[in-house]
Amino acid sequence: MTKITFSVNGESRTIETDPLRRLLDVLREDLGLTGVKEGCAEGECGACSVIKDGLLVNSCMVPIGTCEGARIVTPEGLRETDRGRTIIDAYADSGAVQCGFCTPGMMMATEALLEKNSQPSEAEAREALSGNLCRCTGYDMIVEGVLKAAERGKGLW
Amino acid sequence: MVEAYRPSSLEEALKIRADKGALPFAGGTDLMVKYRYESGAVPEYPAPVIFLTHLEEIRKIYSQDGELHLGAGTSLAELMSHSEVPELLKEAVRTIAAPGLRNTATLAGNICNASPAADGVCALYALDSRVKLSSPRSSRELAIYEFITGPGKTELREDELLTEIIIPRDRSTTRLFRKVGTRKANALSKLSIAAAARLSGERVDEVRIALGAVAPTVLRSVELEKQIQGLSRAELSERLEHFVQSYEAMVQPIDDQRSTAVYRKKVAVNLLRQFLTSIAA
Amino acid sequence: MKAQISTPIRRVDAKDKTSGAARYLADMSFEGMLYAKAVRSERPRAKILRIEVPRLPEGYTYVDASDIPAGGKNKIEMIKDDWPVFADKEVRFVGETLALIVGPDRGMLNRLCREVKVEYQDLEPALTIDEAESLKGGAIHGTDNLYADYNLRKGDPEEAFKKADRIIEDEISTGYQEHIYMEPQGVVARPEADGKLGVYFSGQCPFYVRHAVAGAMGVDEEMVRVQQAVTGGAFGGKEHYPDVISTSLAVAARKVGRPVGYFFDRVEDISYTPKRHPSRTTFRTAVDERGNVLAMDIDVKLNAGAYESCSMVVLQRAIFSVNSVYDIQNVKIRGRAFATNNVPSDAYRGFGAPQGLFAMEVHMSHLARTLGLSDLKYKSRHLIKKGGLTVTNGRIHEEVKLPEMIERIDEMSDYRRKVKEFKKGSWRGVGFSMFNHGSGFTGNGEQEIIRGVVKMRKRSDGLVDLLVSNVEMGQGLQTTFRKIAAMVLDLPVDQVVYNDPNTDLVPDSGPTCASRSIAIVGYLVQEAAKKLKARWGEEGEVLVEHRYAHPPRLHWDQEKLDGDAYPSYGWGINVIEVEVDPLTYEVETKGIWAIHDVGVAIDEKVVEGQVDGGIIQALGYGSLEKLEVKDGRFQQRTMADYTIPTSMDFPRIKSALVDNPYEYGPFGAKGAGELVFDGAAAAFADAVQMAIDRDISRIPVTPEYIMEVYEND
Repeated sequence: MTKITFSVNGESRTIETDPLRRLLDVLREDLGLTGVKEGCAEGECGACSVIKDGLLVNSCMVPIGTCEGARIVTPEGLRETDRGRTIIDAYADSGAVQCGFCTPGMMMATEALLEKNSQPSEAEAREALSGNLCRCTGYDMIVEGVLKAAERGKGLW
Repeated sequence: MVEAYRPSSLEEALKIRADKGALPFAGGTDLMVKYRYESGAVPEYPAPVIFLTHLEEIRKIYSQDGELHLGAGTSLAELMSHSEVPELLKEAVRTIAAPGLRNTATLAGNICNASPAADGVCALYALDSRVKLSSPRSSRELAIYEFITGPGKTELREDELLTEIIIPRDRSTTRLFRKVGTRKANALSKLSIAAAARLSGERVDEVRIALGAVAPTVLRSVELEKQIQGLSRAELSERLEHFVQSYEAMVQPIDDQRSTAVYRKKVAVNLLRQFLTSIAA
Repeated sequence: MKAQISTPIRRVDAKDKTSGAARYLADMSFEGMLYAKAVRSERPRAKILRIEVPRLPEGYTYVDASDIPAGGKNKIEMIKDDWPVFADKEVRFVGETLALIVGPDRGMLNRLCREVKVEYQDLEPALTIDEAESLKGGAIHGTDNLYADYNLRKGDPEEAFKKADRIIEDEISTGYQEHIYMEPQGVVARPEADGKLGVYFSGQCPFYVRHAVAGAMGVDEEMVRVQQAVTGGAFGGKEHYPDVISTSLAVAARKVGRPVGYFFDRVEDISYTPKRHPSRTTFRTAVDERGNVLAMDIDVKLNAGAYESCSMVVLQRAIFSVNSVYDIQNVKIRGRAFATNNVPSDAYRGFGAPQGLFAMEVHMSHLARTLGLSDLKYKSRHLIKKGGLTVTNGRIHEEVKLPEMIERIDEMSDYRRKVKEFKKGSWRGVGFSMFNHGSGFTGNGEQEIIRGVVKMRKRSDGLVDLLVSNVEMGQGLQTTFRKIAAMVLDLPVDQVVYNDPNTDLVPDSGPTCASRSIAIVGYLVQEAAKKLKARWGEEGEVLVEHRYAHPPRLHWDQEKLDGDAYPSYGWGINVIEVEVDPLTYEVETKGIWAIHDVGVAIDEKVVEGQVDGGIIQALGYGSLEKLEVKDGRFQQRTMADYTIPTSMDFPRIKSALVDNPYEYGPFGAKGAGELVFDGAAAAFADAVQMAIDRDISRIPVTPEYIMEVYEND
């Protein structure tokens, strides 16, 4: 057991746990942040995407022991920001949501993209979402949602 | 339950590695998959684990004596955005997984995982790369093809860590990286080719060709390359099929869940021919 | 003119889902819940001789067939009940459940399951259609390995074959497909305070689960309460399989007296849950001197796996679809579903139709190629029209708008010009497919089996409760059902309350499958709303209900499979343009166009979402999603190896809708969810055929397969 201190959605957290547990499990089970989903547990589907120290990561691939001092943002944190609200609205207006299981992860990937590139092309948006699998939408409306968020959110990123 | 160490210096990491026989854990994207067995359970690592990527000593990218040194802790994303990383390697790395995973995964981890299908590793073969292996007492360098000895097998000693990847300056004038993946993105390789050549006038001064996922390790034949080097482009053109056939004889792929041996061989040869044709007259 | 109802509104569930606020099953908390893990067969076919259970640590419980309560049955009551809750005498496929171990730690459960030693007497498995047909290892099912064997006849095929100028033979096959709903399977069973057994699940059919659990536990159906949780995709994969999980879990929950949850790991989900039926269809086609089809003799075979489940009905849809949109005057069809020692094949979006439609469409393109005729002209000559006779000797009752749709999609895609411009074998190709899909249960199933009921209640606070058992699983029902009710009642959408169904609270309006939710149940919603509107002035609470009645013009004989197989059809055309790399045989899709007749769209955005998702899923089926079996095990067991499309695999889809209101659909709507899956694989295959100037006869059309047909020509 190791004591680990890190920040989640701007709040400092200290937990004592097995450092080899997945960040995904700590977020869901210990902190109740169930917006982070488990879809494949091997870094393929992106449903568990969170932002760690400003970078998009698959939380199923991250042992909590590597998170000492890290800043983690989950969908629960992002949705409380103007950026998050802009993405959520843009997705809703674009028809980007169907079963919704991939969508919080898609929102995190969108945030990570716009943080680096506030006016992406369609090709750049598709590349940015390529680690987030969706089985319902065929992606077009999600891509539209990303571009709409970029358009509406000028100045936010 | 195994121990996990988070050393505060490379020195400490090397000591833990030597004393505990701990498993080096870089980005973890191979290990987390390899040792996972059940959703919601802690992976079953066979040995204690040492986390490494936070160590400043191995997070640097720098040039020295005309060679590029990539710290073992640098992520794929970091090296993709670094101006001095050779284009051939960047192209290869761009085809690995997806943005989220590239933020976590490291090339050093890929090397130690020693999969013949690792795209970045294929490019490292074609770039004449070396690896620096450090132990508490000493360090040594090996060419990448000496370091990787078989699928999942390397020359890494029980007290060593791979601390740097060293890439000589790439002076090639013609390059090809092509990955044939299971899909267009976020894909594993069915096969790949990384090749580079330096032409001066009508002469082929240098050629380096690596083929991924068609043999137990990435395939590179320095011997065949020597036969090509020094030829005029016209001579290469004349003898092109001879070289293609020589490579074909060495390509020994397997059938697996991703592709077939027949396909891998045929396509690897097609891409090789395309590259040789592009540098021949 | 566009109907008012078609104007898109924001999906009611969009914000909660995107923000992570929506609670899927694994996000819910159940006080004191234990986890379950299955001890699974490692053999495709064997007798169980002995099972040695390790000493379990405190807090862990072993649950098997001997724990089924008195009065209960070791059978899962689905359409058939041949699938046992726990295998206790024999195993028929790798992954079959022998027992569950229940306890608090998932890692420990996995280790304990691995420690269970099973002594088997191996039997020779039959894995392929051919092995099943030749009764390899003896019959698995009955005496002939056939779950179903049907014969259809239309016209006088024998006589027509005598007049043939030429007879052309063909064989088309399709592979397995895994659903890859993003949320893996999950069920929680909980003994409730009121003595009932609660089942919480991710899935499509709450009353199926209730029926299966009641049967296994030997209790009245009312003693089982099933609550659907927000469901992260299903596509047919959660139509029957939740019954399989729920029954064993119910036994476990009763035994330990605590809630027990089973959340599938993805590898487990891919390895052991049902798939789309692989198929092989052979054609003998008689043509006259102009190449026109005189008659067809068609043989459809499905690999149905180790238990029957719903294979009989899947086979029906496959053979009813195997003439697609064409009116072939004389046809003989035989269809068989074979028992094999694979994971049972089951429902998957399209339910047999994609296999039948793919076979016919590709066969028609082969005929055109063989005869040297234009693909589109040739197909157009044979199109069915209103009043035309189907293969079950039923009538097409609606106007067939395909000719108009052909012109529209040609304008959109420039298909005809591209056919001329891209020469055969130029590594560029453009493919064309037409298809239709019957909405609702086959034959008179809606009348005889389902008899769906919808209730609607005006509450004293003015809100309206919509009481149905159909579920939101991503397809937009939460939005479209509310829209239908709200528009009839002239209320804002948010005044209609439609919760995820709970079997104690809603009537059985049938399962969420078969493109029936809008076309059949949506109509009941509309009619119930009309009744409620008529009584709107009444004081206090008002409850109305509306029950399904078969449209009077339809007739069906289930014994003979004769008559109107479906109440209505959706229609569609896809065009796909590709470029094939001559060095790697990889295919780059350059354009995707689609046009559909779904009657009237209840919400254009929702339908467009179905179109986009259906086409990309079908392109996965047609090109990427290879699932091979070796020794009874799937070789692709992870999401890395079983590759569904990413955002970068296909370009943006351009699609359109034509209005063609259906009399018995809500606001004229017909089903859409499966139709949109039905055509893309054939259009893709057709495009590749043109690019390489070789016949393509199976899917997935992988680069490996393209190389094979190209090189071996």
